[in-house]
Amino acid sequence: MNNAIGVCNLHYSPNIGLLTAHRPFGSVSFLGRYAVMDFTLSNFSNSGINQVVILAKNYVYSINNHIQNGYAWINNTKTGWIRTVINERRINDATFNTDVSNLSANLPQLDLHNIQYIVVAPVHFLTSMDFRPIIDDHIASGRGVTMVYTNGDNSKGEFKNCTSIKLDKSKKIVKSTLQHNQAKSVDVSLDTFIFNKDTLFDLMKSQQDISEMLSLADVVSYCINNGTLKVNAYKHTNRVFPIFSITDYVSVSMDLLNHASREQLFHDDWPVYTTTNNTPPSKYGSKASVKNSLIGNGSIINGKVENCIISRDVVIDEGAVVKNCIIFTRTHIGKDVKLENTICDKNVKIKQVTKLGGSPTEYLVIAKGANV
Amino acid sequence: MAEQLIAMILAGGKGTRLQALTKKIAKPAVSFGAKYRIVDFSISNCVNSGISTIGVLTQYESTFLDSYIGNGEKWGLNGLHSLMTTLAPKQTEEGLNWYNGTAEAIAQNIEWIDALNPENILILSGDHIYKMTFNDMLWRHQSNNADATIALFEVDPKEASRFGIMVCDENDNIVEFQEKPRSPKSNLASMGIYMFKWKTLRKLLIEDLKNPDSTHDFGTDIIPTMIARHMTIKSYRYSGYWRDVGTIPSLHAANMDLIDGKFDLSSFDEEGRIFTEDTYSLPHYVGKSGNVTNSIANQGAIILGKADYCVISNEVVIEYDAECDHVVLLPNAYVGKGAKVKNAIIASGVKIGDWCEVNTEGDDIILVSQNVTKGGE
Repeated sequence: MNNAIGVCNLHYSPNIGLLTAHRPFGSVSFLGRYAVMDFTLSNFSNSGINQVVILAKNYVYSINNHIQNGYAWINNTKTGWIRTVINERRINDATFNTDVSNLSANLPQLDLHNIQYIVVAPVHFLTSMDFRPIIDDHIASGRGVTMVYTNGDNSKGEFKNCTSIKLDKSKKIVKSTLQHNQAKSVDVSLDTFIFNKDTLFDLMKSQQDISEMLSLADVVSYCINNGTLKVNAYKHTNRVFPIFSITDYVSVSMDLLNHASREQLFHDDWPVYTTTNNTPPSKYGSKASVKNSLIGNGSIINGKVENCIISRDVVIDEGAVVKNCIIFTRTHIGKDVKLENTICDKNVKIKQVTKLGGSPTEYLVIAKGANV
Repeated sequence: MAEQLIAMILAGGKGTRLQALTKKIAKPAVSFGAKYRIVDFSISNCVNSGISTIGVLTQYESTFLDSYIGNGEKWGLNGLHSLMTTLAPKQTEEGLNWYNGTAEAIAQNIEWIDALNPENILILSGDHIYKMTFNDMLWRHQSNNADATIALFEVDPKEASRFGIMVCDENDNIVEFQEKPRSPKSNLASMGIYMFKWKTLRKLLIEDLKNPDSTHDFGTDIIPTMIARHMTIKSYRYSGYWRDVGTIPSLHAANMDLIDGKFDLSSFDEEGRIFTEDTYSLPHYVGKSGNVTNSIANQGAIILGKADYCVISNEVVIEYDAECDHVVLLPNAYVGKGAKVKNAIIASGVKIGDWCEVNTEGDDIILVSQNVTKGGE
């Protein structure tokens, strides 16, 4: 699909405490192998979108470190590319560093002669999404914008931070609002849009007239509600795992220890690509006992591990008991340490304490590089 | 720019004794260590030695190796001054020439090598499992001003008759070669790693090609000719881990060496990494009833049963209540519910049916290359 460009939008990313203290949410480690943004980038890639702009708010180093030359996601290395862009002028200005201002600052990256459609997708809705039928539907609708939405069960508040929408009989969006009940069934925007290039540029201009603090999704909602924009709606039916907080991050991660949930996010014909680290297989010692856990490559396990997500090159010594934890790369859990309900960022060493942990509802988070 | 050292990896052999494992692929392409292929070791050793030009000589079932090697990207050999290519036998003006022997394989690619104008050439076998850098060997080769330097490995004297044996004098000069001798005069086996001055080797290869009595082999033809002419052939002793995994039991044993630590591939080993192809797999999953001990496991595996002393490759499934003991499971192998397997290599994609028992009473290592179902193997 060489007439569409993908925009991986990191501007809506939630702040999840220590884990996003030095990196954007998009490059937070996920499920022992991935960065959160791998899902969006792989959706572009698998949909044949070979040119992708990563719209970053800050911490470009962390993004570049993960993306490298982008070859993990692009099909043709001559015609394809992934470029990370920031709004240099607004980088320290949280209020005005919006996705719209970032797009405006980097317009030449998008305004390419072959590009007709711009696909904008965030990273905090984990799902497998094929953009090809959505673009087809967008073209058939004749509208300048298509919003991708899903019907979610919000009885547990999973979608409480989403924009809910109302559709008319012809499945066009008539209302967009942040308020909705904890209903069994809500139609919520996935902050994912297909734009005709001109429509997007017009909307970016109209933001200047409304308020420069508005995000792209806000502008679309505003224009829907004041009747100046007719938006096509496309219903996405694959399961969506929304992450708006550290609690969501933990519950989605733990949910994916279930085979059935994993099957809803990972499909054989829809690989999730990521950067390779040339890590050897993991090694289990004679005292290892691992239950209901995902184990990344390169790990060396001699202790007890239960309901955990263990990333690359993690060492768990003999006698250690690690339960309900998420452990990032190159962390070392020492001999006889008992660790529960904890997230360890990269390169943590836990050797000097014997027992540590949070509660099932409030996880303890240990910062990158800490020696505990 | 002339290269100081280029490498040529011999990867054309079938490896007949690996039975069905090499029915459709060459021996260097056989899976090893839950993630790798045998040829990854020779290539990574070159890469870890700073060698950036590698020719891989293929012949038997060359298509798979050709596409696996590709442009060398898997080993980082797609950089600015890097070159990696496979060199299969080709049809020329003189007709179609198979590689009849290791020396002929190199001889038929003289033009390719000449274009690179290397000072020295390293000939390696793509069949061996080891981690070795060649910098020290090159330094000795050059400081001795040797025509050839051959890496030797001390083997158990009782086993010596299985190898190509080199006899050395007190100054580390190689003075005699014995191919699989009945009464070996030494226990120093050739590792199939030869370093030559290219100009010297070039002359010898052209001469050898014209000799109708030659088998065109480095061990049996080129080296003896050099010895007879009193050329300088130095030995280079290597004492690290090195295995020729030519048979099913030896392939199984070398896999097990990764578990008991005789051979270390971990990220924490300083000796350099082995590079290979990556798969788009999830981290491996061990289920609530899973029990993995004394094993290594690669990404993509799902282990719901029991595995002790197992090498578990990507996309392997070990189902509920299944038990694997001393089993090497190649990619996509499947062990069904309640099945029991012992002392075996399960070939790629092979399925062991629910409640089947395979080799549970046997002490010999077997290869399972076809699906096993209840009521008949």
